[in-house]
Amino acid sequence: MKKVYIIAGIMIAVAVSLFVMAQDDLSTYATISQAVKTGSRVKIAGQLAKDMEMIYDPVEDPNLFTFYIRDDEGATQKVVLLQPKPQDFELSEQVVLTGRMQEDAFVATDVLMKCPSKYKDEEIYLKEQQG
Amino acid sequence: MIEEIQYIGEHLWPGRIGQAAVFIAFSAAILSSIAYFFATQKREDVELSHSWRKIGRVGFGIHGLAVFTIIGMLFYVMLNNYYEYQYVQAHVNDDLAFRYIFSAFWEGQEGSFLLWMFWHVILGGLLMLSAKKWESPVMAIIASVEIIIGSMLLGIYIGFGPEAFRLGSNPALLLRDVMEAPIFANAEYVSLLDGTGLNPLLQNWWMTIHPPTLFLGFASTVVPFAFAMAGLWIRDHRGWLAPVLPWALFSGAILGTGILMGGAWAYEALSFGGYWAWDPVENMSLVPWIVLIAGIHTNLIARTTDQSIRATYIFYALSFIMIVYSTFLTRSGVLGETSVHAFTEMGLEWQLVTFIVVYVLLAAYLFFSRVKGIPAPEKEESTSSKEFWMFIGSLVLLFSAVLITASTSLPVYNKIRTFFDPGFVGRVITDPVPHFNKYQLWIGVFIGLLTGFSQFLRFREKNFSSYWKKFLLHTGIGVLLAMVFTYLSTLAINLSAWQYQLLMFSGWFAVVTNVDHIISFLRGNLKVGGSAISHIGFGLMIVGVLFSGLNQKVISRNPFLMEGLTANEEAKRNTVLLIKDSPMIMDEYEVTLTGDSIDYLTRTYYIDYKRRDETGQVVEQFQLEPNILYDKEFTKVAASNPSTKQYWNRDVFTHIAALPPEEMDITEKKAKEDSLDYKTYIMGIEEKLTFLDTVPVKDRDTFLVRSFDLEVLDIQRNAQHKDYIPETGDIAISAWIKVTSSEKDTSFIAKPVLVLRGQVLYSFPDQINPLNTRVKLNEEVFDLVYTAEAELDYQEYVISQGDEVTVGDIKVKFQGFNKDVTLPSYEKQEGDIAVAAMLNATTTDGKTADIEPVFLIRNSKPLNLKDEATEIGLHARFVSINPKDGKATIFMAHQAPRAPKASFSVATRSFRTDWVALQAIEFPGINYFWLGASLMMFGLTISMYHRIRTLA
Repeated sequence: MKKVYIIAGIMIAVAVSLFVMAQDDLSTYATISQAVKTGSRVKIAGQLAKDMEMIYDPVEDPNLFTFYIRDDEGATQKVVLLQPKPQDFELSEQVVLTGRMQEDAFVATDVLMKCPSKYKDEEIYLKEQQG
Repeated sequence: MIEEIQYIGEHLWPGRIGQAAVFIAFSAAILSSIAYFFATQKREDVELSHSWRKIGRVGFGIHGLAVFTIIGMLFYVMLNNYYEYQYVQAHVNDDLAFRYIFSAFWEGQEGSFLLWMFWHVILGGLLMLSAKKWESPVMAIIASVEIIIGSMLLGIYIGFGPEAFRLGSNPALLLRDVMEAPIFANAEYVSLLDGTGLNPLLQNWWMTIHPPTLFLGFASTVVPFAFAMAGLWIRDHRGWLAPVLPWALFSGAILGTGILMGGAWAYEALSFGGYWAWDPVENMSLVPWIVLIAGIHTNLIARTTDQSIRATYIFYALSFIMIVYSTFLTRSGVLGETSVHAFTEMGLEWQLVTFIVVYVLLAAYLFFSRVKGIPAPEKEESTSSKEFWMFIGSLVLLFSAVLITASTSLPVYNKIRTFFDPGFVGRVITDPVPHFNKYQLWIGVFIGLLTGFSQFLRFREKNFSSYWKKFLLHTGIGVLLAMVFTYLSTLAINLSAWQYQLLMFSGWFAVVTNVDHIISFLRGNLKVGGSAISHIGFGLMIVGVLFSGLNQKVISRNPFLMEGLTANEEAKRNTVLLIKDSPMIMDEYEVTLTGDSIDYLTRTYYIDYKRRDETGQVVEQFQLEPNILYDKEFTKVAASNPSTKQYWNRDVFTHIAALPPEEMDITEKKAKEDSLDYKTYIMGIEEKLTFLDTVPVKDRDTFLVRSFDLEVLDIQRNAQHKDYIPETGDIAISAWIKVTSSEKDTSFIAKPVLVLRGQVLYSFPDQINPLNTRVKLNEEVFDLVYTAEAELDYQEYVISQGDEVTVGDIKVKFQGFNKDVTLPSYEKQEGDIAVAAMLNATTTDGKTADIEPVFLIRNSKPLNLKDEATEIGLHARFVSINPKDGKATIFMAHQAPRAPKASFSVATRSFRTDWVALQAIEFPGINYFWLGASLMMFGLTISMYHRIRTLA
């Protein structure tokens, strides 16, 4: 089985080097201030600032949705999402964005939302009152 | 003291049966597992072993019946909408169509666990019939798995107080057992309940077929695992290799099909815009499959050469453990924000961890305690043998699985690190798709090449010196043909990087060499060609991935460019606005939104695609019909379903990314209606009016003054509107109003409708989109069109059939009674006695009209319903009949008809609502992917039949 061991050894070596290389693909969730500082592509997580305005006017540009998030440090940041407004966006609590800082806005290409609506068993639905 | 409330309308017996069945299923699985354990341990004593086996069989049979009972009970309460049950309330509602009842059943965690157990029961039954000497050890393992999954349904608390640990989640619990709410103070609460219903995204037939297939795939991996454990347990390291093979092939085919169905669902019915997104949930169903396929390969080596038995043990064990690990990842909530479709937490995390630990420890113990006895030939395979390269292939597959698992498990790693070091900041993969593609590309290259040339090698090669010419010839032909196909592919699509060209080559190499293998080596005998077919499928799948993934083309390219964006970011902006009836040139197509229609909760949009040649002739035309689904209250859009035009070599995929906000959400609609600046006018027919409107010009401090001309063309009493569904008793008025703007030359006619139904007004405004103008009718219009009762001067007439009287200037003839009442304002009720008087009116200038006022006795009270001939101004009420002489008393009045007027409001700054934001993507060669992937599963199935036949 010697040759197989050699090949397995090579594979392990390759795997280890791949894992080292893959470190470049990883990032931590950046805070807004870090995103501003680095300017490179990062992931940020924050609460959707529901008290701030959300603008989506498809007649103007269907790929432009702006809103604000607030991160754990309490900083507020304007976000420009290069996509149509995701469905049920205003219901989401936490959003995770991938993108980079450009001038005063965080330009995001990907968004993941955590919707409390998924925890739907907290509600009891009643029949509509006929009348 | 809390008083016990006597609830009314609860159905408690199915719950009691269900609860009992849950405990019986759990206990019987324990019994069966223990009995089979002793049947295996005491296998030297045949008689004792057989009596243990009998207990094991009976135990498993009872377990199976109990599982069927729970499922049956759950279906029963769901079908009958017994909302007092928590599971029913959470997954069903009154509106749910019967065909989605299965989907609703396995939408929840408990239902999907039951589905998993169900398949184990079926597979266990088949094994009891067919496994012969392997039955006892294999069933002991399977029954033990059933104990653990069964415990997920127990729903019992261990310990007391708030610290109590809940074991499992019981699907048969009542709603009032799992939550506290003020409604439970009402003894009749059951009659008030409705269910949450099935998530609209899941209301399609994929949800009916994908989960059972995938769960059969999950469940079937337990069989190779159990055989492997059995082989180690009774130290028969060779005996299990033959009977396990059909099961492993079956599992490979079904699990693969289940995963593919998930991809097909994502591509066809959801708006993911692709079939694979390297989402953790997808990855973790793929990993066990990859490991299983590696196991099948080492299993084949072991069967023919005695090599790789240890590897086969490891792969089959790992495959099942990865299934359990995948269950843990998707159901524990640990994936958190990294996955779009992970379940939420249910308090089962520690049970799931226990599940993994138990089987890792069991497998590790059995393997290491017996590893010395596992046959492993001293002599190494030669590099010119088939088994050597097959083994390398299995290692490459394992390597792929390790890489995927490691990346996907990052959230678990973060959790563990944070546990020991609370200050640790979790890491995430910034862009998962390129990350996975980058590494898996090389796996694809290696596997493609290995599946090609190793087909031409022979097992246990001893005489390669006499064979190498043939080997080189076929491999050489393969290389040449693959190069030709790769070259042709680069003509069809854009393969920029050499890595992609290499992958394309290796995909085609796998295809052509395996076709050659079937022709030259198997002489076309497909019965034994399962592996070649699967490998052709793999190659074709790679080709399809490159074609469709690398060269998917966004047709809906966005005309608005934003400054400062990178090319990749600009490419993400792939939505365009499509206005009704205005064709838009997208790529090579001319795309037009031609209209939409609504059917119950589904709104379908019709998108017309045209392609013209240089002379302007239409050479290709088709219609796509993406739709959106509103939620059950019709207040919001719940789901958007794409539509795809399929050609053999490419797909055109279209989905609706956004609609006007007022079409998406009823609150937006109200807010918008309130925000409009309406001006009210009252005008008669043919009256004209001109008004001015100032419009601020965007981004400039200037205003535009436009003039509008209004003219009422007609007022109609039987109005029609696309959103208005007439009901009997409605009074519906429509005014046709011509609007002309100084901005545009053409005139537009608005036809707003106002409906009075009972006491409720329904307004259907009309929008003139080219003018951004909205017109609605006001309530006053009823008074303007219909004459008020108070203005009328009724006279009493007592008349018999055939009499003629004069009312004002009008001659009215009483033509008799009509028991068949047709007056629109009459709504029939039980016990009514109703009769109409048929009156024929003639004016002095010769106009005639027929009216039929109604006399009615309802609940012993006399009532009358008015009828009128508005055009001539005759009003009549039929108030009584004299039973003696049959004379009717009718009140009639004549009031010269007024010219009707319309009261309406116009808002001139109402933004258009006749558009959709559309995404259109072309996927070239996606059918190579589907065909290839299906061939792979088909090949596995053929091999399975072949192995079953040779086993017998």
